[in-house]
Amino acid sequence: MAETLGNRLLALRTERDLTQAALAELVGVSRKTINTVENGVFVPSTLLALKLARALGRPVEDLFFLDG
Amino acid sequence: MTSSDIDTADRLTRKRARMLPFLALIFVTQQISYFVEADARVRMVDHVKVGAWLLLSVVLLLALATGGFWFRPKTVRALMDDEVTRANRAEAFRIGFLATMIAGIGLYFLDQFAPMRGRETIHILVTIGIATALIVFGALERRALRDG
Repeated sequence: MAETLGNRLLALRTERDLTQAALAELVGVSRKTINTVENGVFVPSTLLALKLARALGRPVEDLFFLDG
Repeated sequence: MTSSDIDTADRLTRKRARMLPFLALIFVTQQISYFVEADARVRMVDHVKVGAWLLLSVVLLLALATGGFWFRPKTVRALMDDEVTRANRAEAFRIGFLATMIAGIGLYFLDQFAPMRGRETIHILVTIGIATALIVFGALERRALRDG
């Protein structure tokens, strides 16, 4: 069975009133990267996942989960 | 890194994604004249054409490998070469390599019916490899930039 990586990035980002560009600036990546992770087009590296979690002040497990 | 860097990188990334398929088209159409006017005689203009093709090939290959926009600030270039871009580029090179290998096998087979000079064969293989990688990279970048 193929498992994919789901995420709650959009929900947690909007909860904190952050735009994609603002979160991109906090993490130090492009807006495109935030967009692709949110849409599930791109599976981020562990490093990026941890940086996103730190920027949103949540544990990484709150952001990402196994789907399917 | 500032929000202005993010905006600039975003703008240039969109520009690059739009430009790449057009560059591939220009690159491929430039080759048509090379093969249509193929002649046994070697003229000065042929050296210029081959030189132009060689120069364009090197520039496009370097642009693909590094992300281009070499005269922009380092921070902007780093943003334009982040994880997603590197993954898209790796995929583009993978498909470009496959296309080159398939073309190589095809040309090897065709050579028994219509023998080709080594230089022509290399010309075709390099053109196919670079053009395919450009198109794939452009398509992946456009998909990555799509909202929602």
